Amino acid sequence: MPAADRHSILAAPGLLLLVTFFVVPVGIVFDQGLFDPAFTTAHFERFLARGAYMAVFLNTLRVSVVVAMACLLIGYPVAYFIVRQPPRRRPVLMFLVLVPLWMSILVRTYAWMVVLGREGIVNGLLMTLGITDQPVKLLFTTGAVYVGMVQILLPIMIVTCYSAMTEIDQNLLRAARILGARSGQAFARVFLPLSLEGAVTGTLIVFILSMGFFITPALIGGRRDMMMANLISSQVSQTNWGFAAALAIILLLATVAVLVAARLLTRRLVYAAAKTDTP
Amino acid sequence: MMGGDKTGRVLLTAYFAVVVLYLFFPILIVAPMSFSDDRFLGFPPESWGLRWYEAYFSDPVWIDATVRSLRVAAVASTLATVLGGLAVVGLERWRTRWRTALTVLFAAPAIVPNVIIALGVFVVAIRLGINDQELTLAAAHGALALPFAVMIIGAAYRQIDPTLERAARVLGAGPVRAFVSATLPSLMPAVVSAFIFSFFVSFDELIVALFVMGGSETLPVRIWNDLRFELNPTIAAISIFFVAITTVAMTLAELLRRRGANQSRV
Repeated sequence: MPAADRHSILAAPGLLLLVTFFVVPVGIVFDQGLFDPAFTTAHFERFLARGAYMAVFLNTLRVSVVVAMACLLIGYPVAYFIVRQPPRRRPVLMFLVLVPLWMSILVRTYAWMVVLGREGIVNGLLMTLGITDQPVKLLFTTGAVYVGMVQILLPIMIVTCYSAMTEIDQNLLRAARILGARSGQAFARVFLPLSLEGAVTGTLIVFILSMGFFITPALIGGRRDMMMANLISSQVSQTNWGFAAALAIILLLATVAVLVAARLLTRRLVYAAAKTDTP
Repeated sequence: MMGGDKTGRVLLTAYFAVVVLYLFFPILIVAPMSFSDDRFLGFPPESWGLRWYEAYFSDPVWIDATVRSLRVAAVASTLATVLGGLAVVGLERWRTRWRTALTVLFAAPAIVPNVIIALGVFVVAIRLGINDQELTLAAAHGALALPFAVMIIGAAYRQIDPTLERAARVLGAGPVRAFVSATLPSLMPAVVSAFIFSFFVSFDELIVALFVMGGSETLPVRIWNDLRFELNPTIAAISIFFVAITTVAMTLAELLRRRGANQSRV
């Protein structure tokens, strides 16, 4: 189709921008991490040799898994609640969920700094209620990082679950009820399996985004809450580009590996759920 | 609704309210503080006033950073919207076995952690001697925003009935004229929505700016540098000021996107 193929030229400028400011830079990162100037694994050996670097990597994984799971557990029921509302009310409720998403992450983290600080509102409240007589350390803790990150990523989970749930024919639930299923049964055997795919996608998106988090752990986490992005940034400011690049490669490969593994694992799970529930 | 399961429904509603409160908590706290007239951060404020808004608007360092961010975001979002829009049309009409690969490529910058892209762009920029330049940052932000522009415009484009453009061609219009007069009008809401969205991707971006821009700070970089040393109430004022602007702009973008979707369905 020569006439149609002429259209390909329209994609060229965008492609050029992507190649210059995405493909080449990511390629350069691999080059910096693996060649110095001859091929070397020195940077990776350095990463493995020091427990401190490994600890940051494991912490990044752990925080991302916890945040993704927390978002799933908190967000799924919210999406379910919205999708069970009359269609006219749904956009308003979704709007409430989406507005916080438009606030800059810096600003939201700043707000948590104010709220959780020594003289912050939470401490003020705890002391007024007489629960403690001294300020509790809330800021610069792992808990603060979780609270901050979940607040930032939760809307994304809710949106993803919600859009998958709107695809489900609500009549199926009604049919299950008519055929004698109790509401819990109808949910577990009809709604849950059909919405599982969306829930998995949402969890993976939140996980990916968590892996790259930078602002929140730096500003409201403690010394041991450092994540890979913070480590990379501090290596860049010490001009250890090669090592920073190696860390970036590790971060990217780990993210992709978890993603692929999760996809393979959950595909089986989703199919299994679908099979047992559709006789 | 689920039968007579009334307690369940009440519980779920209460649960929803608690989660929304959690999501809004930062805004609810920062908004009153930004209107405080106290010299130090405290909640609730003891006196009210606009002193922190005045502090923001009268400090050339903050204003410089803001104007720089606005400039960068304007260029970045124009790049993302125009190039993204063209790419949508090109990719949708181009029958090639590369299409899947290209679609993945156009989505990739949204998935790869920004810190990795930032590091790469930084090294490339230094090698080419174009670091510390607003145009470099704008182009990098354009690439970061491109996936979102392609997603938003692409979704609208696939809803459009191609018959209208074909009819225009049959009636003698050239390919560009046919596109501009038949397809573009129903695409416009999505284009505006993509522009606004891309604008905020750039306006909010910290890490690339932190790496690429040496001395000249963008607004997020200024806030970042400030936050690491003290809790400056000026940031509360800036936050609320931009939350207000963002909410208006994003609401507009969302309404336009929806109107666009409805129009093309009719």
